[in-house]
Amino acid sequence: MASLFFLFLLLPFAILLLVLAAIVRPRPVRIPLKGRHVLVTGGSSGIGLALALRAAAEGARVTIFARDPSRLQDARHAIRLATGVDVAVLAADVRDSEAVARALEAADYVDVLICNHGVFLPQELERQSLEEVRFMVEVNLMGTFHLIKAALPAMKQRAKESGLPASIAIMSSQAGQVGIYGYTAYSASKFGLRGLAEALQHEVIADNIHITLVFPPDTDTPGLAEEHKRRPEVTKLIAGSQGGMKADDVAKKALHGIKSGQFVVACNFEGYLLHVATVGLSPQRSYFMAFVEILGVGLMRFVALCYQWSWFTIIEKWHAKMRSDLLRETSDSLHT
Amino acid sequence: MASPLLLFPVVMAPVVFAAVLAFLVRPRPVRIPIKGRHVFITGGSSGIGLALARLAAAEGARVSILARRAAHLQEARDAIRLATGVDVAVFSADVRDADAVAKAVEAAGPVDVLVCNHGVFTPQELEKQDLEEVRLMVEVNLMGTFNLIKAALPPMKQRTKATGLPASIAIMSSQAGQVGVYGYTAYSASKFALRGLAEALQHEVIADDIHVSMIFPPDTETPGFAEEHRRRPDLTNIIAGSSGGMKADDVAKKALDGIKSSRFIVPCNFEGTMLSIATAGLSPQSSFLTALAEVLGAGFMRFMGLCFQWNWFSSIENWHSKKKGM
Repeated sequence: MASLFFLFLLLPFAILLLVLAAIVRPRPVRIPLKGRHVLVTGGSSGIGLALALRAAAEGARVTIFARDPSRLQDARHAIRLATGVDVAVLAADVRDSEAVARALEAADYVDVLICNHGVFLPQELERQSLEEVRFMVEVNLMGTFHLIKAALPAMKQRAKESGLPASIAIMSSQAGQVGIYGYTAYSASKFGLRGLAEALQHEVIADNIHITLVFPPDTDTPGLAEEHKRRPEVTKLIAGSQGGMKADDVAKKALHGIKSGQFVVACNFEGYLLHVATVGLSPQRSYFMAFVEILGVGLMRFVALCYQWSWFTIIEKWHAKMRSDLLRETSDSLHT
Repeated sequence: MASPLLLFPVVMAPVVFAAVLAFLVRPRPVRIPIKGRHVFITGGSSGIGLALARLAAAEGARVSILARRAAHLQEARDAIRLATGVDVAVFSADVRDADAVAKAVEAAGPVDVLVCNHGVFTPQELEKQDLEEVRLMVEVNLMGTFNLIKAALPPMKQRTKATGLPASIAIMSSQAGQVGVYGYTAYSASKFALRGLAEALQHEVIADDIHVSMIFPPDTETPGFAEEHRRRPDLTNIIAGSSGGMKADDVAKKALDGIKSSRFIVPCNFEGTMLSIATAGLSPQSSFLTALAEVLGAGFMRFMGLCFQWNWFSSIENWHSKKKGM
């Protein structure tokens, strides 16, 4: 009797799984890397370098793309030392659409385009210069538009000729899933990438090109070290001030996601929770993940509200402390 | 006799849950008065902006409108005077020009309610679209908003301190800022970006009693929309056609109501409300009732979202096979 009841309880879930298996789009795909051309921007350091190393080790033909030719050479040597593989290098600033177009032309075609480059300078908008805001938007968002625009025609051609699926992967950030104190410009640029990615997947699916958005947490890179130096106090209280994931682990997750054609790639457990909370109307190829999303998103919204409660409380307390410190200083100076 | 005992927790659970949410929701809700206060509206000479200006003026606000072309501004001013008897201040500037924006905002005086409503939208497949057009949308919709907020913020902070009244920064987004669809790479990029900006900004300005609102209208009958419609790719029409259109006045009313209630997310119609629940993400929520709807409804909305994507990808597939067949 009890087991029948139990089965009956499971029935709606089973039906849901079946329905999801039928409707999830785009359909799942496997994207091979071996022997294919992988181009990684921001490829001379941090996550980009780790991606290039892994892709080379998996037998891909790799090109790394960055601004500084000497750092590119250093990276090339490092990759040769680690994997025995020689990678091609391209030097250009992603903000310069013509330089990007020339570089992509020199690269011939790309099978897997990894737009990984990015800059991040946290600061309260009131104190941040518009130059810095523009810098982040230009590099992170416009730079990605430039790359995709330049690579797309040859990618489409190549996907048609080879009959193999291609990939455009975009490195976002957990700051591209939630905006927090100090990240107006950075979150703006990273949220922007999601709008781009959702629309782009519609436009290129018929050409067998698959979009992947990767959302790493703080990752131990030279970039993070720089960023930490200027993090506002409140940002540290909210986002933490420790180091983060290892670049190689992020690269591993990213590459795995790219090869499975996942639209969203989370890099750690927190990232999965964040993904479920912010899944919105993003496409989902895996009926199982879709199932998890449907069951989990309500709870995750509750968790999100708890987080916002905690963050606004931190902000309130910090401001109260600032005010009382100021009061104390003023009264001290009056008494001396 | 066991049944009332069982019923009690079943009835109490949602009540307790609602109470928990009422305690949790941040920022706390506030009422933002607009009567007698300075409302500054960009893109205010036509469409939703003009409707907002008319409405705000009719409610007794002191209204300033900013737009690029002086002639349009004069027409708008005349139209508002005719409709409400109120005279609005006009400022001409291109939001892409940070200096011009700063000058206009300075000339206008401290703002209580800043409505960043300006926007441009040209739908096209990224492969076919000129990078200049992409850049235009990002510059106007995103950087323009940064320019405005940066210029208006310091006097706004002074103002809330001096008056003790809450202020508002309202940002006009779009349903295309909640989901990206065929033809909208650049426009959705610019509108999604505004959300990242808004979420972070709210953290930064809450202590100054400034409240951020994002408005998400659907297709709205404006001159801008008429332009956009002419250029829409087939597939965008097929996909985006699934969302109904609205009148600018109705959008303006919803927007103003949302701004006055300091709501972070302001949907404009039923579909918009569903979309907002589906895309609530980690956005702040000041209404515990809406929070309840979000927690209870998000799962079903995700399922609906997946159905929409199934429908959209099927449309895309069908359209392409038809084209190949031709």
